[in-house]
Amino acid sequence: MRDKFLHAPPDLDPFATERPRLDDALSRRVNADPERLERGLAQLVLTVVELLRQLMERQALRRIDGGGLSEEEVERLGRTFMELDKRMEQLRTEFGLDAEDLNLNLGPLGNLL
Amino acid sequence: MIDLYAITDDPTPPLPDVAGLSAVASHGLAIVCAPVASEGGELTPEVLWRHEEVVEALMEDRDLLPVRFGTRVEDETAAARALGERHRELARALDRVRGAVELSVRVMGDGPESPPPAEGASGAGYLRAKVRSAAAHEEVVRMVHDPLTANARASTQLGTTAPAELLRGAYLVERGRVNAFVDHVSRLQAAHPELRLLCTGPWPPYSFTES
Repeated sequence: MRDKFLHAPPDLDPFATERPRLDDALSRRVNADPERLERGLAQLVLTVVELLRQLMERQALRRIDGGGLSEEEVERLGRTFMELDKRMEQLRTEFGLDAEDLNLNLGPLGNLL
Repeated sequence: MIDLYAITDDPTPPLPDVAGLSAVASHGLAIVCAPVASEGGELTPEVLWRHEEVVEALMEDRDLLPVRFGTRVEDETAAARALGERHRELARALDRVRGAVELSVRVMGDGPESPPPAEGASGAGYLRAKVRSAAAHEEVVRMVHDPLTANARASTQLGTTAPAELLRGAYLVERGRVNAFVDHVSRLQAAHPELRLLCTGPWPPYSFTES
């Protein structure tokens, strides 16, 4: 693998975080036992929820940019999204999913999120 | 069953002597395949790397479209049929990557990842952090992705996988311009010591097989 490095910073550790995930991704693709099936379904549902959450969040950021919201409204919106974020994280942990798992490759359209 | 490795031109230079490769030709294209090596065997990163090594050996002296790892068909007749059914589309795709390889560039922000909002943090603060991270991404696109795109035949952004990762780009670069591209990456690194740039390759054009 090292001979593939054309330009690398002295410290590579930050880039290495995903190494163990390769095994995980491979095993997820080939096994379809019932437990994994349930996880796969949860993954699909949470992906849709996460898509909506991100869309709403972007919409909120645009509205704040537009300057049409009071301080109090911004605070309330922010709290709502923070709570949603936290809740999503709990659900992900429950089903053993990473943030990266909640994404779909749409081929020529790129990634969903 | 046979494993499919890559689609290339017909005729094609002699195949490297690995994995029992053979080429099946149809409509001016050839598909490089080999008997399945590990049927029912365990799927490990090593198996994936072996597949990658075969595609890279092929890539040394020919243009190709890499076939997604794990694609298998019944026999050579089925492989030729698959090639025949999509030959126009595949020939166009092969033309798009002709004479070029894929380089990957990943950019990490320096310093620790932005900490998650503390318990009881303000909602407005949470949103402000979101705005900052979106702005950081745009900034890196402007400083790194855009100039590199100007040095490539094509480019695409892939989804980032870690919070501190600001960019994950794939670039289709002419074989003769790989060194110049890497020099450009080094110059960008020197100009932006606050970022960490990792450039790898050359890879088969995985990110550029579809229009």
